[in-house]
Amino acid sequence: MSIPLSYPLMLAAALFGIGLYGALSQRNAIRILMGIELMLNAVNINLVAFAYYLEGAAAAGQVFALFIMTVSAAEVALALAIILLLAKREKHIDIEQVNLLRW
Amino acid sequence: MDFDPTRVAFIVVSAIAVVSAFRVVTAAKIMHAALWLGLTFLMLAGVFLLMGAEFLAAAQVLIYVGAITTIILFGIMLSEAAEVRGRGAAPLPVRRDDASLFRRIVLPALAVLAFVGVMVVVYSQVSWPDAPAGLGGDTVRMIGRALFTDFIIPFELAAVLLLIALIGAIVIAVRDNGRREQG
Repeated sequence: MSIPLSYPLMLAAALFGIGLYGALSQRNAIRILMGIELMLNAVNINLVAFAYYLEGAAAAGQVFALFIMTVSAAEVALALAIILLLAKREKHIDIEQVNLLRW
Repeated sequence: MDFDPTRVAFIVVSAIAVVSAFRVVTAAKIMHAALWLGLTFLMLAGVFLLMGAEFLAAAQVLIYVGAITTIILFGIMLSEAAEVRGRGAAPLPVRRDDASLFRRIVLPALAVLAFVGVMVVVYSQVSWPDAPAGLGGDTVRMIGRALFTDFIIPFELAAVLLLIALIGAIVIAVRDNGRREQG
């Protein structure tokens, strides 16, 4: 009467793959950020699934997922601040044309 | 296979999550991509709920659906760059020369196939427990106790990290305004 552990693991692998493709194939900085968020969520699914199925891992898994949420919230806030600054300054957010930190 | 409502609910929710995640990557307008991202986050909250993580499901709705999706939407609407707003043919066109095509489509697809392939092989080789071990009742109380005993130092560090991120975002915004007034 429950879900086999392989289901959430496969779901997490699929979401991570989609997020990875999004992060690697796009040129728009905000789209790359969305891909990274998808990957972080896939990791959270894995942590929650292992917390649910493995003996004695419940607290650690869910607390780690909570920490990942915290870090990704901080990351999104800073990344969007930088992207907005870039959009204001360069009039585009194409990461292939951004080389402000090079040399 | 006998009918199991939990399993059916999980399959439905995760199918919606995968489809909307796919639309995040493929949507033509970035605004639509952001909204699909919100739907994905909401479905993942349902996944958490089905796996006995009520507090995380609530936190997922509050943080991801409520805050991160909103911040991304604000970021899209506030930036003036044309490709951000999604006017016309919104996603930046992939340049048609061979090197760019290789780097932007073939290499990412190879990386994704390799990663997912390895994960699926690993997952199918290991014999996983069929039934959940059980979380032992009140997960909110359990998380609270773990946060303030075993994980007290990471907890305080997370607080400091959030403070630093807050200060950093303010510094970036303020410095930009000052620069614009001078010039």
